[in-house]
Amino acid sequence: MFRRLTQAVLVATLLGAAYLVVTMTVAGDRRALLSGKTTDAHHQMEMACETCHGQSVFAGAKAAEKALNKNCRKCHEDELKAAKDSHSRKRFRNPRMAEYWDLLDARRCTSCHIEHRPEITREGAVTVATDFCVACHSQGEQDIRATRASHAGLDFTTCASAGCHNFHDNQALFEDFLLAHAGQPEPARPAVHALSARHLTRPVSTDKALGREEAVAPPHALADPSALDHWVESGHAQAGVNCTDCHVPKPARDVPGAEALVHWVDMPTMDACRDCHKPQAGTFVLGRHGMRQHPRIAKPRDAGRRLARIGLAGVVPAWMTRRLRDPILPAVMTVGEARLPMHADADPSTALGCSTCHRAHALDTVRAAVDACASCHDDAHTRSYFDSPHHALWQREQAGEGPPGSGVSCASCHMPKLEHRRQVRTNHNQNDNLRPNEKMVRTVCLDCHSLGFSLDALADAALIRQNFTGKPAIHVQSIDWAIARSLSNPDAPKNR
Amino acid sequence: MLTFTEELLLLLGDEEGLFLPVKEHAFECALAGAVLMDLAFAFRIDTDLQALVVTDPAPTDNPMLDYVLAKIVARTDITDTPTWLRVLATEDAAVIREQALDSLVERRILKRQHSRFLGVFRSVCYPTRDERPVQAIKSRIEAVIADEIPDPRDVALVCLVDACQILPDLFPEWEEKRTSSRLELLRRMDLIGRELTGTITEIQSRIISAARAQAQRFRNSLLTLASVGSIAALATLLVPSIGVPDRYGPSLSGLLWFDGFWKQFSGYLLLALSMAGLVVAVAIKKQLLAWISGSHRWRLSHIVLGIGCIFALFVHTGFRLGTNLNAVLMGSYLAVLLSGALVGMVVGGAPRLLKQVGPGKISTVRRTLLWVHGLALCPLPALLIVHVLSVYLY
Repeated sequence: MFRRLTQAVLVATLLGAAYLVVTMTVAGDRRALLSGKTTDAHHQMEMACETCHGQSVFAGAKAAEKALNKNCRKCHEDELKAAKDSHSRKRFRNPRMAEYWDLLDARRCTSCHIEHRPEITREGAVTVATDFCVACHSQGEQDIRATRASHAGLDFTTCASAGCHNFHDNQALFEDFLLAHAGQPEPARPAVHALSARHLTRPVSTDKALGREEAVAPPHALADPSALDHWVESGHAQAGVNCTDCHVPKPARDVPGAEALVHWVDMPTMDACRDCHKPQAGTFVLGRHGMRQHPRIAKPRDAGRRLARIGLAGVVPAWMTRRLRDPILPAVMTVGEARLPMHADADPSTALGCSTCHRAHALDTVRAAVDACASCHDDAHTRSYFDSPHHALWQREQAGEGPPGSGVSCASCHMPKLEHRRQVRTNHNQNDNLRPNEKMVRTVCLDCHSLGFSLDALADAALIRQNFTGKPAIHVQSIDWAIARSLSNPDAPKNR
Repeated sequence: MLTFTEELLLLLGDEEGLFLPVKEHAFECALAGAVLMDLAFAFRIDTDLQALVVTDPAPTDNPMLDYVLAKIVARTDITDTPTWLRVLATEDAAVIREQALDSLVERRILKRQHSRFLGVFRSVCYPTRDERPVQAIKSRIEAVIADEIPDPRDVALVCLVDACQILPDLFPEWEEKRTSSRLELLRRMDLIGRELTGTITEIQSRIISAARAQAQRFRNSLLTLASVGSIAALATLLVPSIGVPDRYGPSLSGLLWFDGFWKQFSGYLLLALSMAGLVVAVAIKKQLLAWISGSHRWRLSHIVLGIGCIFALFVHTGFRLGTNLNAVLMGSYLAVLLSGALVGMVVGGAPRLLKQVGPGKISTVRRTLLWVHGLALCPLPALLIVHVLSVYLY
């Protein structure tokens, strides 16, 4: 029996190993090969390895790292450029910066961010020690403790404390920005978010408005009165967007009248929304809610093509090639896959798309701004929101007691309104200004609060958990130090 | 007719064509004794407890016996039987063995089979081509022991085998108490080889008592090393993984567990130690190299290599057990190391354990642990290949 069991284990292992080698080099499920938990930022696409690991098979360690960094940049470069990256790759590729390459090579993303290493992964997916600034800013002309009297006694572990410095995005912490907003009083109440107010008070044409009897849909769809009721009251009906505009795919949509109904789709995908709401859809796929639909996520590998590349195209039988397939990434993120705390009664199978928050026919932006978030998210910050001054302002605005744009919803801070070519749009990438939280200062906080108050509030973790109910217990000295330096040495270059 | 030497070799062979694990010195001494016994039966020499005298220097027509006889005739400085036994055992045992094996191969009783393990280590074994002579010898011995009227030659053969203390190795169900009185009688009946077997018995006793002392030392070392190995393997499994300092800059832990170069270095060190351990184990088990097989030092080196593997594993992982495939690899590795160390503890502590539990239980535990050791080893090479490949591919 012992001998047979040993032989069985041996055979099973050899088969298993052969399968894994094939999955590595040709196609197949590679989840067993994951060397560690993927970070929250990338776990949704961990099955699409080639999104990050883009090198060819057996290309070597250097090529692998190069491809990895290239793929990091493909997805994050625009974001870094928009943030006026303080340690941009371009700056560090300059040969004059060569002396810093050995200290902390800022040309490569993987110097600080290594995936699948949960034991050393810190906030922001950083995998180097929190005092990493010491590498370059503790010697020579970059010795910050020598050049800044205010920093003389500081420890490098405090550099990245909220309100001080970030490695990439320091737009809300540039010295000239701090000085420009120094001494700024708290705005008068009720404060109004200008872009939100402009958006809410924009003129809406009802020239093309459609009525219930004008709905073009198959009988089974028309038999759902609630869907019809929601649509009639929605912005879609007011803007003349008929049922077929969403439920019939684009090429068939132009077919007049009932003929288009042949192509009717009961559950249209986000592509239907994207046809008209391209900017919103574009930002949605950048955030964690929609990143599964990001066009840069690698498609499953083609086993036939891979076999051909390694010269085994005719050797492996066709039936086997057909069976070799990468697992197909679920089309959308679901509540069950979330790593943040979710409500116990939130349906784990709920797929995250436009209609999840906006409702399919009601297109309810009010629900999408608060209740949709709170129906899934179940953390201290979310729970505290309903007892916070922000929520009170939101309720007043909804009740018509406050001016438009005076209420503060979840979306006000996490999906702020942005202006692009004189048009106000909602940024559907809720991660855009989330971390580091100073990114929220310019686009959100300063509409209603002073810079000093904003920095102090964002640095106070307890206050954030309470959803800003109360006053900051922490004071960030950034503005004070900027003023002191400016007074003592007015000609000193401002740190950007 | 077969010589005593040939009969002895046939008795010591097993079904795989290797030889029973009789202690090396005992084996050589038995061969020397068998040759002298052959010469005595050919009336070329006469022996007593002290002296060995050549009675007839004429050749016997057997090249091996003639070679030994010529040597005895030539060396007039040695006259006593014990010294001749020692000289032949140390100087000529290999020649005697080879010539006897050649003779058996020529007679088509054995066949010579050459093979190479891993394409490197040359190994020769002698599987039995014709089982009948072996069965006949064994039947003769059994018959002699079972109260039948013996032939003088059979008496001498039994006494030689008994003097070499290899009867329990030849007959696994040997019951010493039941047969001791019969053996005593046979020893008295052995007229020709009596003095010779007496001398062999005396030498064997000395060898065995020395071997016992050596075995005890070996067992003590084995127990100590295996205990260290067990503790280290358990520590790898149970001790929480070592964290990395939250300070930027070079640190030993950061260098070991997160620096690509050193991670590769420790990985390959682990691989090399594992391979060395495997090669030593196979060499001992399959008797691939004469200088390895039967040597306690090499058996201990297997355990030392195992401990080295645990150390290299610690350097490579820092007590991190890994996830997914790496966790399976780690589990397999630790199962190999722990079961191996436990086998060492059981073997090393056997004399002490014998007092607590019976020999049967010890043997069962040892065999089960060895099986686990082998079973856990089976998937290791494949898992290692996949691990190394995945590291380089991703």
